[in-house]
Order: sequence, then C-alpha cells, then structure tokens
Amino acid sequence: MLTGAVRMSDSGHTRRRALGAGGVLVGLVTLGGCGLFGDDPEPAPAPDPLQPVLDEALALASAYDRVILTQQTLSARLTPLAQAHRAHATELAKVIGTTLPSGSAAPSAPGTADDTVAGLRKAELAAQKTAVAACKTAAAGRAALVGSIAAARATHAEALR
Amino acid sequence: MNEQLAGALAAEEAAIWAYGLIGVHLREGAEQDQAHAAEDVHRVRRDDLVVRLGTLKASTPPVPAGYELPFPVEDRASALKLAVQIEDGVAQAWRVVLPVTEGAQRVDALSALTDSAVRATKWRKLAQITPLTLTFPGRPTT
Repeated sequence: MLTGAVRMSDSGHTRRRALGAGGVLVGLVTLGGCGLFGDDPEPAPAPDPLQPVLDEALALASAYDRVILTQQTLSARLTPLAQAHRAHATELAKVIGTTLPSGSAAPSAPGTADDTVAGLRKAELAAQKTAVAACKTAAAGRAALVGSIAAARATHAEALR
Repeated sequence: MNEQLAGALAAEEAAIWAYGLIGVHLREGAEQDQAHAAEDVHRVRRDDLVVRLGTLKASTPPVPAGYELPFPVEDRASALKLAVQIEDGVAQAWRVVLPVTEGAQRVDALSALTDSAVRATKWRKLAQITPLTLTFPGRPTT
C-alpha cells in the first residue's frame, strides 16, 4: 500500500497540494484504496501463455529460410518444415487473438553460427520442450493444437536426422 | 474421458494387429527390428489403457470382429504405407485425449501422440514418401 501511495504521488500531485501538508499521506492512501486514481496507467496485460510458442514458430521459420538461402540444395527438404512453422504461427495467432508480422517483410533475426541443419535440429528439440510445457497447462480448448505443434517439432527433428 | 481412452485403446489394438502383417514384408534386420520395437511400444500402451479403463470402471470396449485392410499388403511398399497409416491413426486417437486430461496424464497422452508421429516419419523416410512430416500430426486430414 505504501509503495502504491508513493508511486501514485506523481499523478496525485495537484490533489496533494489541494489537500495541504497535514493530511497528505492519509488522503493518498484513502484515495488510492478507493481506486479514484483512474489516470494511473493500467498494468500491461500478462502475455498469452502461448506467445512463446508462437515466437519460436516464427523464429524457426526464419532460421529455415536462412539455411535454405545459403544451401539451395536443401530447399526441397527444408521448405515443408518452414511452411509448417508458418502454419503453426497462423493458428496460434488466431487463438491468441493477435496478428502476425506481415509475410516476408517480417524482420528476420540476424543469422547465427547455428544456421546449419544440426543447429535447426537442436532448435526444434528445444522448441518441442516449450510446446510440451505449454500444452501441459493449456486450457482444454487449446490443448490439441499445442499438442500437435509439439509433436510436429519432434517429427521435424526426426526428419533432419 | 472414457470414450477418448477407449478410442486410443482401439487404435493401439489395431496397431498391434497391423504390425503382425507389416513385419513379414520388411527387410530383415533394421527394418524388422523397427517394426518389432513399434509393436512392443503399442503393446505397453494397450496394457496401460486396459488398466486405466479398468480403474475407471469403464465398460470393456467392444472388440471388433475383424480388421479390414485399407489396401492389400503384399510387399514392402504396401507394408510401409500401412505402417505410416497406422501410426497416423494412433496419433489421431491420442490427440483427442489431450483436451479431456490434465497435467501428467495429458503429458503422457502427448508423448503417445508424439511417439506415433515420429514413427510415422521414420516409416516415410524408409518408404521415401515426401514430405516426411505432417503439418499438424494427429489432426484428422479429411
């Protein structure tokens, strides 16, 4: 409560002066408790629990694109996997209620030393773990989608072996 | 939940039956070993489900009088194709268990779905079926 009152003292500046020195703290605490400081910024909504799964899908799609660019001969093998990640991202965005950065214009992360088939495989296995954890705690209506994405990531890792 | 678990049990039973036919058409060695290992995993899953359904006091699921092959299985190619189809089917049966379970039970169902999807990919690799993966394993394709 005290922290709240101190934090709110900025927006309560005019009120503080109006109240006069005597009842300042009490007034702030009371007003704060009554929720009258409506001009305080709303706390940012917690990110959707599936957001990390979506972010990883987009990051993986970009990583595949970078490997395909440098090794064209792998295109036939890797393109379906990149497309799968984009399909996952599209469906995740739908259930989260967010929009995806538009197509190829999306800022792609800078390349890393892990832009190899072995690096992709490692990233798939790590991303599978994220999806399994998200599936475990997901609402019933989301469990099948996240479960399929987790399984897909495991099959990608197998396909890259 | 019983309905979904009974569906998973039926899929596991069908897989055990199918692998009996698949194995004999595969190459001796690694391929047949892979089929035997898969069959063993399906047996363990089947036995677990029987226990769970028994604990839940579910009525015994009807045992189908006989299975019908979706196509004749007479050689290695058709055997591999059946193996892919069987694993895709098992993955579908486990996927519907996810929304009706929670916590450790859901993770277990997901691991069954994932294992089947990965085995389907292995069989596609041997059969040289591309792409090697499905976009949403376990989601009915029709």
